[in-house]
Amino acid sequence: MKPDELARIALENLWRTKLRTVLTTMGVIIGIGALVSMVSFGIGTQKNVTSAFYENDLFTSMFVTPVEIDVNRAISGDVEALAGVLYKPPSPLTDSTLSEFQAFPGVEIVFPEIRFPVKLSLNGNETQTNLRALPAGMGKYKPYNDLMAGHFFEADTGRSIILSQELLRQMKVLLKTKQLRHRTPEDSLRGMRLVEPDSLLGRLVTIGTSVVDLEQMTGLPMMFMQGRMRVPFREIEHHFHIAGIQETGQGFDRPSMISGAVIPMGTAESLPRTGFNNIWDVLSGKHDREGYSSVVVRVNHVNHVEAVQDSIETMGYSVFSIMDQLSDMKKGFLIFDMGLGAVGTIALIVAALGIINTMVMSILERTREIGIMKAIGGSEAEIRTIFFVEAGMIGLMGGLFGLALGWLVTKIANAVANVYFIREIGFTVHFFYIPLWLVLGAIAFSVVVSLLAGIYPAARAAAVNPVDALRHD
Amino acid sequence: MNTTEKNETLLQLVRCSRTYMKGAVRVHALQDVTFSMQEGEIVSLIGRSGSGKSTLLNLVGGLDRPDHGEIRIRNENLTQMNRNGLAMHRRFTVGMIFQSFNLIPSRTALENVSLALAFGGRNRTERRAIAERLLESVGLRDRMDHKPGELSGGECQRVAIARALANSPCLLLADEPTGNLDSRTSAEILELLGRLNNQGVSILMVTHDEAGAEKISHRIIQLLDGKIMDEKQCRRDHETG
Ligand SMILES: Nc1ncnc2c1ncn2[C@@H]1O[C@H](COP(=O)(O)OP(=O)(O)O)[C@@H](O)[C@H]1O
Ligand SMILES: [Mg+2]
Repeated sequence: MKPDELARIALENLWRTKLRTVLTTMGVIIGIGALVSMVSFGIGTQKNVTSAFYENDLFTSMFVTPVEIDVNRAISGDVEALAGVLYKPPSPLTDSTLSEFQAFPGVEIVFPEIRFPVKLSLNGNETQTNLRALPAGMGKYKPYNDLMAGHFFEADTGRSIILSQELLRQMKVLLKTKQLRHRTPEDSLRGMRLVEPDSLLGRLVTIGTSVVDLEQMTGLPMMFMQGRMRVPFREIEHHFHIAGIQETGQGFDRPSMISGAVIPMGTAESLPRTGFNNIWDVLSGKHDREGYSSVVVRVNHVNHVEAVQDSIETMGYSVFSIMDQLSDMKKGFLIFDMGLGAVGTIALIVAALGIINTMVMSILERTREIGIMKAIGGSEAEIRTIFFVEAGMIGLMGGLFGLALGWLVTKIANAVANVYFIREIGFTVHFFYIPLWLVLGAIAFSVVVSLLAGIYPAARAAAVNPVDALRHD
Repeated sequence: MNTTEKNETLLQLVRCSRTYMKGAVRVHALQDVTFSMQEGEIVSLIGRSGSGKSTLLNLVGGLDRPDHGEIRIRNENLTQMNRNGLAMHRRFTVGMIFQSFNLIPSRTALENVSLALAFGGRNRTERRAIAERLLESVGLRDRMDHKPGELSGGECQRVAIARALANSPCLLLADEPTGNLDSRTSAEILELLGRLNNQGVSILMVTHDEAGAEKISHRIIQLLDGKIMDEKQCRRDHETG
């Protein structure tokens, strides 16, 4: 008989015994559903984490400092280390050093790292953050090339600021995004204002910076003795216009990982401020020292990080890159993937055993039917093929419905988790991701496992002795 | 319709033996049986239960193999066939019916017959046409779409006969075809077999109904303990068909 005729007979068999078919397929559906949801969670998590890193260019950025400050040793009172930090003359990070860095292959942009704590206020609602200064050139790169509203700075000067969705939320402004569009402003806003992102452009934001009050600083020991402790800082306010709004990334972008507020480089340099390095400088009496305290070097691909890092280190600077930490992270992911894979494999083995079990049971049940098929001239190869096709079809259906089940599970789990996320954090996270290869892979896997699971039952079916099978008592 | 000539050998068993092991005990189900049948003949096997009738039929049907001896049908030697050859023998050369009908319960009468036709390599339209014609010829024109569970024993046996004839076998093998039927239905089935024989179908039948067998058979062979004990010629005095 032709293969398509045999396939038709197999399909007829499945169709005529619907209940048995459904029960058998159910085992496969559950196995594949569990597999798909687990793997998609693994992929989703990995994607969320890596995209968080990529979007914040942490992978391709490195941070260069003039000297190795062993802060731990210094803080723990190691006098020598402290002395080393304070008195070893460092190679300065000057503009000419920056152009040397710029010349290394793969380097995209080099700029001094300026980051200092500020108080932000909008409509009288305040929050605190680390303000970051970036050159206009960063407008070409993620995430600044794709802002939610407005544009990145075109010049390095000007009192413009880019704010993140999350910072705005902290200042009680909720943006009308896709996820929030359908909600009525009244219901769960809890004192928030719901606005269109574009309507915020050009609005005034007040920035408060602290500066060290040198006069108070010198009077510190005296004050201490008199028991009049006063913080030696003074606050200055500046006004900025909102130039753009940056979407808080999906997934595991923690607000602290991204620069929630960005102003132009030139503006920042002229802003009176105090950061950690400045305090250090003040304490060590070097507040007039030459060069930058920290520089960001950004390469166009992670593959360039190591070479550039080596070159800069041989020039006598200290370099920190996330890639150094990455090997540990990769190990973590590997273990995570292996764990998911193990659970998925167990799910598959369980599904496969289920298929073998039900197929063998079905053959025991159908011994007479097989005997009949043999008596009317079915050859062993044909009977084997019929059972093989039945197993394959069960695998295909189990794969398709299992995929649907897995998809449903991820949708429900995601929705449930995001009820919490929307309420507490204000944005949604896609925990699950089902790429095309997973769709096709799950179906193929289901079919292949079912076929493999069907080999033994099919062989048994073909080997049934017709005389025994047809004996009537 | 009877194109094959009588007195031409259809089936030949030469010193066939079949021994089964029942635990440690050897059961000689068939011992040195030599026997032949002509084209167009209808031969009945009778004998006590356990005398080896079914064993003989299964050997001829290619469901089982003898330990010794030779079986020939027309020009084919069954004992030299491999497993696939035996499957082809069951498919095209013989058709079998059983006491318990052995229909597939999930398939309708038409579908049961169609399955045999499918193994015979017929396409869908051929299958339908041939199956309908066969079921009509056994008197089941109105019951084609019923499943075995919805048919009486006699009707089931008619379906089984239609299925056995699906691929135009040269020998119909019937193992107690009336064993599960009441006497009236038995008579009808025997009559149907007699009519088929008149149309040229050679039949080898196992039965307990010696009187019924005498009416339609050319010869009756009696088995005892795996050996042929007696053989008698019958005068066929029925003439239906
Ligand atoms: N598969 C088997 N295994 C063991 N013994 C068998 C088997 N088939 C038949 N027999 C034995 O062979 C003998 C002949 O059986 P069978 O041909 O079925 O007898 P009949 O059909 O005449 O009643 C019996 O004693 C039976 O028990
Ligand atoms: Mg018997």
